[in-house]
Amino acid sequence: MSIQYKTINELSQMLKSRDISNKELIQETFNLIDANLHLNAFITLNKDASLLKAEELDKNLSLQPLSGIPIAQKDLFCTKDLRTTCGSNMLSNFIPPYSATVIENLENAGCVSVGKTNMDEFAMGSSNETSFYGNVQNPWGDKLVPGGSSGGSAAAVAAGIVPAASGTDTGGSIRQPASLCGISGLKPTYGRISRWGMIAFASSLDQAGPMARTAEDCALLLNQMCSHDLKDTTSLDETIPDFTENLDKPIKGLKIGLVKEFDLSQLDKEVVKVFEESKKQYETLGAEFIEISLPNISLSVPTYYVVAPAECSSNLSRFDGVKFGKRCDDPKDLEELYIKTRSEGFGDEVKRRILIGSYVLSAGFYDAYYKKAQQVRRLIKNDFDDAFKKVDVIMSPTTRGAAFEEGSKGDDPIQMYLEDLFTIPANLAGLPALSIPNGMVDGKPIGLQLIGNFLEENKLLRAAHNFQLSTDWHKKTPKRDIQS
Amino acid sequence: MDKKTVSTIAYLSRLSLDEENGEKITKDLENIIKFVNQLEDANTQNIEPLASPLEKTAKTREDKVTAQNRKDIFLERSPKSNDDYFLVPRVVE
Repeated sequence: MSIQYKTINELSQMLKSRDISNKELIQETFNLIDANLHLNAFITLNKDASLLKAEELDKNLSLQPLSGIPIAQKDLFCTKDLRTTCGSNMLSNFIPPYSATVIENLENAGCVSVGKTNMDEFAMGSSNETSFYGNVQNPWGDKLVPGGSSGGSAAAVAAGIVPAASGTDTGGSIRQPASLCGISGLKPTYGRISRWGMIAFASSLDQAGPMARTAEDCALLLNQMCSHDLKDTTSLDETIPDFTENLDKPIKGLKIGLVKEFDLSQLDKEVVKVFEESKKQYETLGAEFIEISLPNISLSVPTYYVVAPAECSSNLSRFDGVKFGKRCDDPKDLEELYIKTRSEGFGDEVKRRILIGSYVLSAGFYDAYYKKAQQVRRLIKNDFDDAFKKVDVIMSPTTRGAAFEEGSKGDDPIQMYLEDLFTIPANLAGLPALSIPNGMVDGKPIGLQLIGNFLEENKLLRAAHNFQLSTDWHKKTPKRDIQS
Repeated sequence: MDKKTVSTIAYLSRLSLDEENGEKITKDLENIIKFVNQLEDANTQNIEPLASPLEKTAKTREDKVTAQNRKDIFLERSPKSNDDYFLVPRVVE
């Protein structure tokens, strides 16, 4: 019985009815990984430990909610005794002595971590082209990027290898690849999921989240990923609801905001057409549309490219070749050890961002750039606060277009930065946001973004689930669609 | 953004840029800084900077040791160490 493209619920059902054993499921997952090596979705596999865990589960009946479910973990999460590279040469030999809280939560819920997925180096990129371990192929076409930075996670789910993957989202790194690979992905409210054991990029923006085939599966995963963690001081001490509750409840009367300042006329006509059709779908479901204004939204990308590099330059100063990770050969003194290790260990995009960060934080420029960006960040957050007085969720395309070809953004980093135009604002304001597949452009999937108010993941997931109950964009798969 | 500025911030970041790389990165940084200069247009008078979306003070906890001493495993997985310390090139001659 094939397990490819199955959802979490479908696989759980197969396990419960003993159509398949835990060991067979994991063995079959590794067969699918082997058959899809050309995607380069994984950096490190966890085969022996996964099969062992599956055997244990076969021996001892488990009532854990995600018992036996194979999951691919982004290589940004520390995994105990399993190599964790963060897509970088700097950590090519790093074996963490502990697991991230979110990894522990998922594994305690019964998930089997089958491997670590490829990603842009230190999560800095939107196409997976900055990974030290090579590009990831989008399963929807040759030489197409899967998006980034959680590109390997998105590709593994889109190819139907695993039903679930973890991702992280600092400026769109879950939602943008979800859009480009035709899967569902959620960035929760900042603080919902512990950041302990996540390799930090920009601490005030980073948030982990689920990537899966459906919004319902995202809810199942989120239930297990969230926790209040004393090891992360920004971890929220708020009630964690059952995110699967009321998913089926109709959304009649849901107020959806459309952002006046998002100029969709700049986008490809087909992308706009897909978006308009989704609006109609939501109207059919009983939602109403209200135009809202986010006056400072156009400053989101420039704000992000001050705040994120500033935090990155500080966070990445820990990679010095002394305590863990790579160290250069034969340094003549301590300073050369630092400089050579960092120059050899980091790729160009990471270096660019560290340099911008050091620049905007340096004496004389701090007020003009860093302080100014933080002030604009508040303006953007205030805009959202006002908007959510009038609407339940805010809707936009997730990306400006469908998956693009490798190398097609050229040499200009700003072209790549603009890829996250629609996704960055939610990170700046700390709001939950998700992307679900809502159409096809030139045979490639594209996503719809919904942004919710603080802690209102439930509302987002319900809106997304209702959409998926009445459409089948999330059921499209690369193979089936290419063959037909 | 000139070459001298770039080499200063590169040193502050403990990064070395070779000649070819240096020119490309200088040009990129120039463009990125030009791009973020749009922020000048925003009126931010009397606006309090927002450093984190939570704006909550970190919680305090009871002053109790919770960490285990795992010196051995950390030292063992470091690039260079002896029984007690991480090793680096001699600092004091």
